[in-house]
Amino acid sequence: MAIDMSQFYQVFFDESAEHLAAMEGLLLDLDIENPDSEQLNAIFRAAHSIKGSAGTFGFTDLAETTHILENLLDRIRKQELGLRADMVDAFLECGDRLREMLEAHQGRGEAVDQAAVESICARLRDLSTDRQPELPDQAKLAPESLTPSSLDKRVFDIQFVPTEVSAKGDGVTSLLDELRSLGQLEILSQPAGDIHNVGYWQVRLISDLGQEAFADQIDFIAENGAWRVVEGKLSAGDSDPAFGFFDDSPGVPDENQSYGFFAPLDASPDVGGAVAKEVEDEGFGFFEPLPATTAPQVTPEGGNGEAEDGYGFFAPLAPPEKAPEVLEEGDGFGFFVPVPAPAASAAPLVIMPSPVAALDSSSAAAVPEKSAVESRTRAAKTAAPAAAAGDSSIRVSIEKVDQLINLVGELVITQAMLLQTATQMQESAPERLVNGLAQLERNTRDLQESVMSIRMMPISFVFSRFPRVVRDLSGKLGKQVELKTSGETTELDKSLIERIADPLTHLIRNSLDHGIELPDKRIAAGKNPVGTITLKAYHQGGNIVIEVGDDGGGLPRNKILAKARERGFQVSDQMTDSEVFNLIFEAGFSTADQVTDVSGRGVGMDVVRRNIQSMGGRVEIESMLGVGTRMTVRLPLTLAILDGMSIAVGDQTYILPLSYVIESFQPRTGDIKTLSNQARVIQVRGEYLPVVVLHELFNIKPKASDFTQGIMVVIDADGIKAALFVDALVGQHQVVIKSLEANYRRVQGISGATIMGDGHVALILDVSAIAGMAKTSMQKAG
Amino acid sequence: MEAITQSGTAVAEEDLVASEYLTFTLGSEEYAIDILKVQEIRGYEQPTLIANSPSFIKGVINLRGIIVPIVDLRIKFNLGKIEYTPFTVVIILNIAGRVIGAVVDSVSDVMSLTRSQIRPAPDFSGNFDTKYIIGLASQDSRMMIVTDIERLMSSADMELIDSATE
Repeated sequence: MAIDMSQFYQVFFDESAEHLAAMEGLLLDLDIENPDSEQLNAIFRAAHSIKGSAGTFGFTDLAETTHILENLLDRIRKQELGLRADMVDAFLECGDRLREMLEAHQGRGEAVDQAAVESICARLRDLSTDRQPELPDQAKLAPESLTPSSLDKRVFDIQFVPTEVSAKGDGVTSLLDELRSLGQLEILSQPAGDIHNVGYWQVRLISDLGQEAFADQIDFIAENGAWRVVEGKLSAGDSDPAFGFFDDSPGVPDENQSYGFFAPLDASPDVGGAVAKEVEDEGFGFFEPLPATTAPQVTPEGGNGEAEDGYGFFAPLAPPEKAPEVLEEGDGFGFFVPVPAPAASAAPLVIMPSPVAALDSSSAAAVPEKSAVESRTRAAKTAAPAAAAGDSSIRVSIEKVDQLINLVGELVITQAMLLQTATQMQESAPERLVNGLAQLERNTRDLQESVMSIRMMPISFVFSRFPRVVRDLSGKLGKQVELKTSGETTELDKSLIERIADPLTHLIRNSLDHGIELPDKRIAAGKNPVGTITLKAYHQGGNIVIEVGDDGGGLPRNKILAKARERGFQVSDQMTDSEVFNLIFEAGFSTADQVTDVSGRGVGMDVVRRNIQSMGGRVEIESMLGVGTRMTVRLPLTLAILDGMSIAVGDQTYILPLSYVIESFQPRTGDIKTLSNQARVIQVRGEYLPVVVLHELFNIKPKASDFTQGIMVVIDADGIKAALFVDALVGQHQVVIKSLEANYRRVQGISGATIMGDGHVALILDVSAIAGMAKTSMQKAG
Repeated sequence: MEAITQSGTAVAEEDLVASEYLTFTLGSEEYAIDILKVQEIRGYEQPTLIANSPSFIKGVINLRGIIVPIVDLRIKFNLGKIEYTPFTVVIILNIAGRVIGAVVDSVSDVMSLTRSQIRPAPDFSGNFDTKYIIGLASQDSRMMIVTDIERLMSSADMELIDSATE
C-alpha cells in the first residue's frame, strides 16, 4: 500500500518550523552555567521530533543534520558533556541551516548552502567528540567498566525490519554504509529480491565502538521497535558475555517473585519461531520477557514473526544498558518490557534460560516502571511552560476559520433582523418570543466573540524571535544590548501577526544599529554601557500599540534636516520635531555615515511605514537627542472587525471607523466660512478645519441641505484633520469588514463594505482618502 | 483522405454536442448565455449605491454575506424600459472567480444549442460590441443573441474590474 506522503508535507513543514522555533527559544533561555535539565530535554525532544518526521517523509538531509545535532544534545542532557556557550552558538546556527533546508524543501527561499551545512555538521561533531575521552567513569555504562577488555572488538548482531518509506528510499542503504564506516559489516540475511523490499534484515557488525554509535540510526530506519541489537564479544573465552551485565545485581532473582506477571519462559534456539507465537498467544496485558534465543538459522521466521505481530507489544528491543533511554523515547513504557537478548552466538545459553529470563524481567521491570514515572512527571512539568501552546491545540486551516466567521456573521445579521421584526410587532409579540430573542442575541454575541478569538494570537509569537535578532546583531556590532519585552500576551489577529513581524524586526535592527551607541561612547555619555531596547505591546482604545524604544542617542534633528536638503526634499527649520522625524520614513533616506549590512542603505523605513499603513495602522516617532527614541506602531485589533459609527447621508448609510472620529457637533449659522468663495472651513477649538461635504463628494441628494440641519464630524487621519458634514449620526456598531474589491473594484473614498443588521450593505468610508480629498480641494482653493 | 474524413466526422460530432444556455430578455431582444456561468437567479432588491460609479452599476447587495455588485444590462445597452418591478430579475453570475449580478427584464428558459445551431453574427457597430457575441441562434421564430458573458463582464467597458484587460 503506497501512501502519498506529499499530502502530509505541509503538516510536517509547519510542525518542524514550530519545533525549530521552540528549540531556538529554549536555547536562548538556557542558562549556560547551570542548564536546566528540563529545558535540555525539551530541546532534545524538539530536535528528535524533527529528525523523526524528516526521516518518515524522506527528507534525509534534514534528518541527518538533526541527527548530529541530536547526538550532541543527548550527550549534554545526559551530562556526559558540559554545556558551553559555543555549543549554543552552534545549535542556533544549526537551527538556521535546518530552517533553510525546510524552506528549500517547500520550494521557497534560496538553495541550501551545502558548505555551510557541512561545516556546521563538522562543528557539531567536533563538539560532541572533543571531550569524549575525559568522560567520567561512572557515566560509562556498566559493561564497559566491568570488563576491562572493552577495547576488544565487539560484535553486534543487528536485526531490523525497515519501514516502508526507508526501505523504498535510501534509508537502508545509507544505514548499511554508515555501519560499514564503523567497522566490519557482514550481511547475514536480507529480504529476498531487491534491496528495497520491506523485509527482515540481519547483519553482523564488528566494531570497537559501542552500540550507541549506531543504535539511533537503526531506530530511525526500522519500524516502530522492530529492531534489536545483540552484543557479543569476539573473544571466545567469555562463554556468556551477555549475563555479565547483571553481575552486580545479586538480589534480583528474589525481587522477581513479586512480579507475578513475568513468567520466565523456557525457550531454546531451535524453537525460535514457536517462541514468538507462544508469546503472542499468551501475550495479553502483560508480556513475558522474551529471551531472544534466535539462533541465526531460525531467526528469519522467528524474528520476522515477532517484528510483524508484535507491534506495540514489544518495546524496542535493546540490551539492558540501553533500556532507560529507549524507554524515554519509546512507545509503551510501563507496559512493555524491553527484551534483552543474549548473544545469538552464545551457544551455551540454552542451559539456563529461566535465570536469564528472571534476571531480565526483574531488572527490566524495575527500570521501566521507574523511568516511566520519571518521564511522565517530566513530560508533565515541561509541558506546562514550554509546550503550553502546542499541547492542547489543533491545526485548522485558516479558510475553515474564515468560513466559520462568515457564517457567524450571517447568524448575527439574521438574529438582528428577527429582533427588528419583533420590535416592529410591538405589543402583539408574545413575551416568550421576545425573551427568546433576547437570549438569542446574547448567545450570538458570545458566539461571535469566541469565533473571533480563534483568529487571535498572542503577540509573543512575534516577540519571541527578537531575543535572537538582538543577540546576533549586538554581537556583530560589538554593542551590549539588553532586550526587555512586556505585554507578550496581548492578542492580535493572526494575519496581522504575520505581517507585523517584518516591520518590527526592521525597527529593532534600526534601534540597534543607529540608536544604541557603542559601549565606550555610552560610558562617556554617563550611561550604562549596556543599552536597553524595550518592546512593549498593549491595547489602547480599539488599537493595539506596539512600542519599540531604545535608550540610545536619539534622532539628530539637524542631521536629518541637512540630509533632507541634500536629497532635495522640501524642508524648513520651522518644521516640528515629528515632521522632521517622519522624514526618515521617506524612500531612500538614510543618515547613517556608512552603509553596514545591517542598515543604512535607506531602504527599509519607507517599507516599514508602507507595510504598517497597509495593515490599517500607523507609526509615530518620538525622540530626544542623547536620551533615546521610541517608535510607536498602532494597529487595528483585527482586519476583520471594526468599531464604526454609522452616519446617514440622504437615503444611504455609511460607516465611519470610530478610531478616526474625534468629535461631532451641530454647526450654527455663520460657523462655516469660505476661502476665495470655494473651499469652506470651520473653526473648531481654535483651529480652522476644511469642511468636507459628503453628499457633494458622493453626489447624493441630502436630507439636510443647510449646514445647520446636519452634523459635523471632526475626523483625524494621520494628523490631517477635517470636518465631515453628514445628515445625521445613526449609531455605533461593530461591523465585519467585507472586501468590495473581491467582486468589484476599488472605489475612491471607500475602504470596504459591511452588512448591517437589516441585511443591507453599508459602505465603510476611507477616512484618510477623504481627508486627503479635503486637502487637495483646499490647495486648489488656496 | 482518411485523415480528412476523420477530422470531418470529429467536427460533426463536436457540432452535435449540445450546451445548455439560459435565455433572458432585455427589452424586445433575447439573449442566451452559457448556463454554467449562472450561479442563481433572484428578485431585484434595492442595492446600496456606490458613489461616482457609472449609471449602469446600480450598487452592491448582500448575497449571503458576500458583497455583490449589480449591473443593469438594460441601462448599459439602452434597451427596454428601466423600471424595477417585483418581476425584475437579477441573474447572479460567477465569472472569473467573481460574483456579479446582472439585472434583466425577464428570464425565459433554458435551451440546448449545438455548435451548428449558432450562426455567426454579421459585423455591426453599436452599443453592444460584436466581439462579445458568439453568434446568433434561432429556434422557431425567435432569434437569440448568444453572448460571451464572461468576456463582456470582465471587459473594461463594464468597469467592474480594476485591471480589465480589454
